[in-house]
Amino acid sequence: MQIIRKREITEDDFVHVPDGAPLPEGGKPIVTLARYTAERDALLARYSALGVRVPPDKLPSDIPDLARLALVALEFPKFTEGRPYSIARQLRDRHGFEGELRAVGWVLRDQLRYMERCGFDAFELKPGKPLESALEAFGELQLTYQAAADDPRPIYRRR
Amino acid sequence: MPPATHWVVTASFTDDGSNAYRRADGTWSRALAEAGLLTEEATGKVHAAQAVADEQRLISDPYVIEVHASDSKVEALSARERIRATGPTVPIRRPDSGLRR
Amino acid sequence: MYQYDDHDRRIIIERAQQFRGQVARRLSGEITEEEFKPLRLQNGLYMQLHAYMLRVAIPYGLLSSTQVRRLADIARKYDRGYAHLTTRQNIQYNWPKLGDVPSILDDLADVEMHAVQTSGNCVRNITSDPFAGIAPDELEDPRPYCEIMRQWSTFHPEFANLPRKFKIAVTGTPGEDRAAVRFHDIGIRIVENAAKERGFEVLVGGGMGRTPHIGAVIREFLPKRHLLSYMESILRVYNLHGRRDNKFKARIKILVVALGVEEFRRRVEEDWEATKTPELELPDAEVARVTKFFAPPAYEKLPASADQLTALSLGRDRELGNWIKNNVVGHKVPGYSAVVISVKMPGVPPGDVSDTQLDAIAGVADRYSFGHVVVTHTQNLVLPDVKTSDLAKLHAELVELDLGKANVGKLTDVITCPGLDYCDLANARSIPLSLEIAERFDRIDYLNDVGDVSIKISGCINACGHHHVGNIGILGIDKRGEEFYQLMLGGSPGNDASIGKILGAALPQDAIVDAVEKVLDRYLVVRESADERFLDTVRRVGFEPFRQAVYGDALFGAAAEKGAE
Ligand code: SF4
Repeated sequence: MQIIRKREITEDDFVHVPDGAPLPEGGKPIVTLARYTAERDALLARYSALGVRVPPDKLPSDIPDLARLALVALEFPKFTEGRPYSIARQLRDRHGFEGELRAVGWVLRDQLRYMERCGFDAFELKPGKPLESALEAFGELQLTYQAAADDPRPIYRRR
Repeated sequence: MPPATHWVVTASFTDDGSNAYRRADGTWSRALAEAGLLTEEATGKVHAAQAVADEQRLISDPYVIEVHASDSKVEALSARERIRATGPTVPIRRPDSGLRR
Repeated sequence: MYQYDDHDRRIIIERAQQFRGQVARRLSGEITEEEFKPLRLQNGLYMQLHAYMLRVAIPYGLLSSTQVRRLADIARKYDRGYAHLTTRQNIQYNWPKLGDVPSILDDLADVEMHAVQTSGNCVRNITSDPFAGIAPDELEDPRPYCEIMRQWSTFHPEFANLPRKFKIAVTGTPGEDRAAVRFHDIGIRIVENAAKERGFEVLVGGGMGRTPHIGAVIREFLPKRHLLSYMESILRVYNLHGRRDNKFKARIKILVVALGVEEFRRRVEEDWEATKTPELELPDAEVARVTKFFAPPAYEKLPASADQLTALSLGRDRELGNWIKNNVVGHKVPGYSAVVISVKMPGVPPGDVSDTQLDAIAGVADRYSFGHVVVTHTQNLVLPDVKTSDLAKLHAELVELDLGKANVGKLTDVITCPGLDYCDLANARSIPLSLEIAERFDRIDYLNDVGDVSIKISGCINACGHHHVGNIGILGIDKRGEEFYQLMLGGSPGNDASIGKILGAALPQDAIVDAVEKVLDRYLVVRESADERFLDTVRRVGFEPFRQAVYGDALFGAAAEKGAE
């Protein structure tokens, strides 16, 4: 499957592993937060690059050993879901998470720019939505007013 | 013939937001009088769901309304749909173009 | 007023371009209505009962004459020759075509205007005191802070998908709240602490709608430099914890009540301590930069207004005298007055202004008020800086324009939401009631006798017509598909904030204005003196006399029965 990572279309090297499904031999799995919470030590020992998929009602404090994760995928069950934007900022700004921060679920091109500004760097678009034209979204609204994950300075320190 | 209750599928035209009423042949009209009358609400819901799938470009937000139909006219049952069908009941702009009457 | 720099300008232009693309994708079918809806809403575009509606932002209500002329142009070119003043100091067009909206946004951008975040679940246009900058009782002009927050909230990436809409109001007059800050998601009052430093008192969780609440103070004194970091923390706590499962319980007021003010405050302060970076602090230089734009215009040195005003109000021209008494407001600069132009007159939906009137208002503003106009949340217009010696001439011109009604703050100065004549969410019509009130009570002696009383009408529980804070509030409800109305008494939006209570059973449309008249007639009988305002009488005597007046009559009772729950 293809995703957008750092503003480029690329083949996804991670695989989502639903709860109950067998874990792959090697590679880079993304497991649910529930599974991660239950089998954390084994998972971290087994995979050098592990991803965790987090529903929007969980906070960064609900994700143990954050620094050892290669990827956090924040779920957007609806495109109007707003919590992952704040969670992403907290992960980047307050918890210093440096791995991949991926938006998954009902992800549309018109949200990409805001997501990126909050610290997301990878995007799985909703199935059926064109990736090529979605890249244009990064060229829209280049100018900003706020401090965010992309720049800690609000406009009044940049004018 | 006394008025009988029927159902009609309505929506908004995407280009200007004006009312759309589904004709019996599945095309869309701006006039309630041309709407296809359905004898069952469930049929309307099927048409509305189908319209969401097929007609996304032309119309937005289809739903089913209840109407009374007699020989002479079709009238929506709720105050909301009656006003929606006929337009604002108040003057729609100053009658005076800004000069004193 | 604030002037865009290159950065501000380009942001608005880019946004209009972006929306052009989004509209094209909608018209081509690439995106569904469901997906387009939040995009159009963030650009102020609604789908209403008969057509699209575009709401244009007027930051804190302030307009230049150039902008007013552009609004007139747009009404002519893309709409049906009129625009509507909203109850949140904005303006809206009722008939734009989807394909035209990007061009309207271009035309607006050209005069430093936009429709950004005038709807949708984001931070909305920030409102303020319509007499900001000129009120004699003002501590400090709130508009620079409104503008700073406008910029901060514009396309804030973290808060574009809040649980629900978010409204902020600011007042710089601690003594009198003309911005209803206690009824906003965040209310901000500029205050002075014991050490005579200026800062902000911050209130949260006020609001109207289904469950009206008066905002609670969560910080008594916030140093000015922390304004934005503190706002961010409030918004973040709300964004993370506000309810998203039920849109009627999604406003911040519900969260504040559910957590309790103490716990809400604790969470905000905890986040704030961790996130208030030095970068976020508002530098004095930025405050000074923005404040400069609101510097007073070149006032002439003139004698005080008091004697002239007395002479005018007692003069032979009674129409003028009443207008001076009711529509002219004191100004902090000697020799100047603020004028409220009433947009409430018989036969015209309240707040509707035609293209030609807008053009004429722009001209009047240029000639009499340094080219500035302010939109009030009461759906009127203010000329903020008029020479008192020009008042008589100005009045004559306004009368010619059909804008000379002397009814500001009086019975017929009704706040009215669009209601079922336009609004997709409405249960009942609002405007016809307002027209009936305008018609029936169009007698200046009666208006003056009844004195200051506010009637506010909403067509549904969303309360755009602010019915909860009307001295007399009217709320449209739906009973088996028919329009009924609840009558409420005792609301007030200001420093003595109170929420109106329902008087009795809901009434049908043909009975509601009669009921208002009965309430007023009873007031005239039971008030202590001509000086006791309607609201004070209601507070003193309670509801019983009014209940009897409205429902005592047997026939009336029977009519009301039909509408009873
Ligand atoms: S109060 Fe209700 S009817 Fe009136 S404008 Fe608001 S949503 Fe529409």
